[in-house]
Amino acid sequence: MIELVRDTYRYRELIWALALKELKIRYKRSVLGFMWALLNPALLMVVLTLVFSTVMRFAIPHYAIFLLSVLLPWTFFSQSLSYAVESIVSNGDLIKKIRVPKLVFPMAAVVSNIINLLLSLIPLALLVPLLRHPFYWTWVYLPVPLLALAIFTLGMTFFFAAANVYYRDVSHILQILLSAWFYLTPIIYPLDLIPARYQWIFKLNPMIYVINGFRLAVYYGKLPKAPSIVASFVCAFLSLFLGFAIFRKYQDNFVFYV
Amino acid sequence: MSSSAVAIRLENVTQRFRVIQERPDTVRELFSKFFRHQSSYHDFEAVKNASFEVPQGQMLGLIGRNGSGKSTILKIVSGVYRPTSGTVQVQGSLAPLIELGAGFHHELTGRENIMLNGLLMGYSKREMLGRQQGIIDFAEIGDFIDSPVKQYSSGMYMRLAFSVATEVDPQILVIDEILAVGDAGFQDKCFERIRNFRRAGKTILMVTHNMAQVAQHCDRAILVDKGSIIADGLPDDVIEVYKSLLALEAVAAH
Repeated sequence: MIELVRDTYRYRELIWALALKELKIRYKRSVLGFMWALLNPALLMVVLTLVFSTVMRFAIPHYAIFLLSVLLPWTFFSQSLSYAVESIVSNGDLIKKIRVPKLVFPMAAVVSNIINLLLSLIPLALLVPLLRHPFYWTWVYLPVPLLALAIFTLGMTFFFAAANVYYRDVSHILQILLSAWFYLTPIIYPLDLIPARYQWIFKLNPMIYVINGFRLAVYYGKLPKAPSIVASFVCAFLSLFLGFAIFRKYQDNFVFYV
Repeated sequence: MSSSAVAIRLENVTQRFRVIQERPDTVRELFSKFFRHQSSYHDFEAVKNASFEVPQGQMLGLIGRNGSGKSTILKIVSGVYRPTSGTVQVQGSLAPLIELGAGFHHELTGRENIMLNGLLMGYSKREMLGRQQGIIDFAEIGDFIDSPVKQYSSGMYMRLAFSVATEVDPQILVIDEILAVGDAGFQDKCFERIRNFRRAGKTILMVTHNMAQVAQHCDRAILVDKGSIIADGLPDDVIEVYKSLLALEAVAAH
């Protein structure tokens, strides 16, 4: 764990440069370039708002904000994983030729997606007054769930990136897993929708605690209760410990399998 | 023996590769293998019990046939492979020229690639900014420096890559068969730089099939065959051993 912190600090410039490279390549050759990082979520919001305010009407007021407050963090999570799962394999050529710390690759995937997430919060912040939803002071609490989410995601990316080196099926399995996980997490629906006797099953999902803070702060204007905050960080650090332990154990052998 | 005078030390280094005949790339294959208890690999020793020391300032040429284990030794020294057994010690910063431009990304500009490559080699952003102009000047690519490297000619690409790898001023240079590329003018320039490196007392480890280069530039040569070191000494002597090895092989083939 100390090693993780030390290497992250030591290679911070490299991680940052790789993250920026990823963003640059993602938006290259498009006329609007980096603007897409803002436009993409903004346009998604327009679509969602139109759909849920005119076509499908839910009992939840300002459903678009209800949804986006956790959809954006979820998108960060799933995008980070989708990028990171291939990060070691796709940098195989490099790993075979230069001695390079392997952890920078999944890390760069997470960092580049954090930048995307932060940018996507800007259109969300504009949408809130536009829909006449109250702009709560609890927005300032967002860095806390952001931190838990980033740590949780990082741990998962370490695990999946390492596993994918050995079995390329992992990247396919991940996509299925992510879509199942998406529907099992109260993102498009509130947790109350689940019958009380089944709720305990849903509460086994670590993602609930990790993204809970986002919806509470943005949509309800509340802060999560202490046990929920503790649970989110317990899940986050468990993910990081386990993910990095596995990654670290196998990283010297990656070069033989990429 | 004073350890400060030794740049590279390998002790009883063995590198074993698992050669997988039918690689279980997928989980299905993994399961079917697992249940049938098949072993579909064999172990192959690319380097066997190799030991040698390179004193600081020496230029050492590794020679041998294709697949003899020369490049594996370079990768062990560069830290790309962690050897199966044995110890490796490297004193000082090392620049690997194993494949020029390995860290380059086609969509990034020359300038961006200089930075990224430098960071990948473990240098800081500040250091790279300081060396940037020197790198651009040596590579002679002019205004192209702000174009994506995919638009470079292969010569420009190689020049930039060589320039980045050497301008960072490493104490040890590891070169794998790269000086066969580029036009004669640039090759001369590369060798000029390598001579400067030697004059500055830096250590150079190179793999090449060009015996003239070994005879002309190296202080010492090591002959590797089937993963073992079979000759170690003055370039001319080791080249002789290599030639007789090849001749013997040719006779055996008849």
